[in-house]
Amino acid sequence: MKRKGPIKVLAMIFALLLFVAVPLMAACTPAEGNVARLLRLGDYTGPIAVLSIPADQGVEDYFRYVNDRGGVDGVRLIVVSIDTRYDVARGVSAFVAHQDDPMLLMVDPVSTPMTEALAPLIAARGLINYGTCDGKFQAELGRTFLWGVPYQDGFAAFIDWAVEDWQAKGNPGTPTIGYMNWDSAYGYEYMKGGQEYAALRGVTLLDPEYYPTTELDHSPYLMRLRDGGANYIFVGGVEPAGTNVIRKAYEMGLTDDIVFSADWWGISKAGASAHADELEGALIVSFFLRGAEAEQTFAGDLWVESGRGALEDMNEIYAMGVALSKNFEEGVRLALQEVGYEGLDGEALYDAFQQLTGMERFGIVGPVAYDEDDRRGSTVVKFYQVQNGEIVPITDWREAPDSVSLYYGD
Amino acid sequence: MQPSGIFNVSYGQEMAIVRTRLQWGILIGALILLFTFPLFGSSYLVYLMNYLGITVILVLGLQIVTGYSGQVSFGQAAFMAVGAFSSAILSAKLGLPFLVVMPLAGLITGAVGLIAGAPSLRIKGFYLALATLAAHFLILWIITHLELTGRGGSLHVPPPTLGGLVFDTQQSMYYIIMVLMVAMTFFAKNLVRTRVGRAFIAIRDNDLAAEVMGINVFRYKLLAFFISCFYAGIAGSLLAYWYMVVTPEQFTLLHALWFIGMIIIGGLGSISGVFFGVLFIRLLDEVVLLVSPALGAALPFLGAAPAAALGLTAFGVALILFLIFEPRGLARRWEIFKASYRLHPFSY
Repeated sequence: MKRKGPIKVLAMIFALLLFVAVPLMAACTPAEGNVARLLRLGDYTGPIAVLSIPADQGVEDYFRYVNDRGGVDGVRLIVVSIDTRYDVARGVSAFVAHQDDPMLLMVDPVSTPMTEALAPLIAARGLINYGTCDGKFQAELGRTFLWGVPYQDGFAAFIDWAVEDWQAKGNPGTPTIGYMNWDSAYGYEYMKGGQEYAALRGVTLLDPEYYPTTELDHSPYLMRLRDGGANYIFVGGVEPAGTNVIRKAYEMGLTDDIVFSADWWGISKAGASAHADELEGALIVSFFLRGAEAEQTFAGDLWVESGRGALEDMNEIYAMGVALSKNFEEGVRLALQEVGYEGLDGEALYDAFQQLTGMERFGIVGPVAYDEDDRRGSTVVKFYQVQNGEIVPITDWREAPDSVSLYYGD
Repeated sequence: MQPSGIFNVSYGQEMAIVRTRLQWGILIGALILLFTFPLFGSSYLVYLMNYLGITVILVLGLQIVTGYSGQVSFGQAAFMAVGAFSSAILSAKLGLPFLVVMPLAGLITGAVGLIAGAPSLRIKGFYLALATLAAHFLILWIITHLELTGRGGSLHVPPPTLGGLVFDTQQSMYYIIMVLMVAMTFFAKNLVRTRVGRAFIAIRDNDLAAEVMGINVFRYKLLAFFISCFYAGIAGSLLAYWYMVVTPEQFTLLHALWFIGMIIIGGLGSISGVFFGVLFIRLLDEVVLLVSPALGAALPFLGAAPAAALGLTAFGVALILFLIFEPRGLARRWEIFKASYRLHPFSY
């Protein structure tokens, strides 16, 4: 019995911290004044934490930067972050718990199913929300604004690039393209328009290969695509999935004959540097800047200024988070000009977001495409290549073809 | 244990769940409070009660198969998915009414449970747990790949209607969820006191001895799986009607682990333990949900991500503490408390 004493004391301290001390600390925080609030429902302990955490850091740091300079016309920007563990129920629970937070204007649920489940609730509260890059939200015009280019449009841009590359190498006709991605709604979204665009371009698109998010051995999928005669393979999956697939392809000797490309959630700077030999020559299609290009933007300065560490440790998704925050900042600014702080609400921000058309965001992403008939964050992508462990741009910004309408209709 | 001065004078009294006037008073009061709650509870609290109600139904099923019958199941989240997707298909695609859909969803899930429980004839303990784990992945894989279930996408579910009434708000769904929760709790409480329930317990305590006593072990194990999955199917159906959208991501292995955690913390083999476990874990989760942003604001150097991820830490710590200090769960503590106040002021 005596040995249990210290553990009991620890348990009591834990309970005290959780139920008493923390709420007390919160109660002691200073009054907020004029604020505008963004609720982020991210996944910090699940399969897409690699995406959620750096994006969230970008939002936090940018809001702090704006607030340190007096906020948006005196209005402080506040981000409330909740770990949803990639769990829809928890996301809904978090939204319901925080929906009455003062001056909550926007919600950012980081997953397709959560966005779907929350969209009607968010709309009913008169708020707006972000969706990642699922084209369906562009097709069904509502209060969901995409982070960037729809997935299927990014894939269509890859098809265009592959055809050009194929023909530039003196090959006749069009190439055969393979597609691999997570066995999930996110993985399927690319093909909703992507398949139609491939047919439009006369490209042979092999049957898509979907692999589990936790897959360790990707060789069966790669073998099928190799046997199908793929010349180019597009690999989706949030990092490190993309990197691991291409490493396996290298191990199988496929990277000599087949050009591999990751989507924008794949091959991070850290992955490229750690697996330089295996990833050499691999492409990345991205709607935000990668590698050293991302470091040279305002986001790089903010990373260092915020004490996050050395610049080379900055994840490119951090820069994308900064760009997303800029939307919110400018949306709030525009809404304040229109309706003043007294009139500032989700409806005012909804109107303002539709007027952000053409806005630049430190050059990290293309100009905003939002308007009354458009929910795309931007319409351009850039192509990068891994060269000697570095991520190097090989094209300028290129227009991503609209393939959403090919599947969903206009 | 009876309060001082209370004696049973008939078999009916001996078997009664509610024995004294005070207990009747508390029960009636609790039911009145429960069914008038939406009249004064905030929308958040009503939402939370709906969530708790559905979870209680689901975990009651798990308690029957694991707590009472001793068959460890990691498949409860997947079985819930079967109920949810069955409801979505039956209601949205076939246009069947709510009153038909819900029992059908339960029966379909029960039938799936019979298949998933079949390995319990040959294997038990750790091996059966792994078999149910396999069932989880298999069921989710099938749901993710069938056109019928939306191929990994979502299925939208119309709100339930009963005699012209449309249940499309938190408040209206509350009544459906609570009526079912009370009814299914009543059924479970009585089931475990019947011949079937005693057979479950006998199998859990020593399946060899149970067989020697004439209990058809395989039949009762399958029955336990069927009933458990029926509960999961009803919970899944309610979830589908409540959210009005179902996706495979709503039913992960992590959910299955949380459900197991609930019966461990609440107390294995106890109906009241289900309520304690669900309340403790869900409320802990909700406290974390409210506290973590405050923690992030109060300690900005921590950053939002570590503060926001407090939930899993809290769950892990709570589970470890219970396994160390009270492996029989909160229900056991409740029993000790009841025994103590019933004997008060006598300590023996």
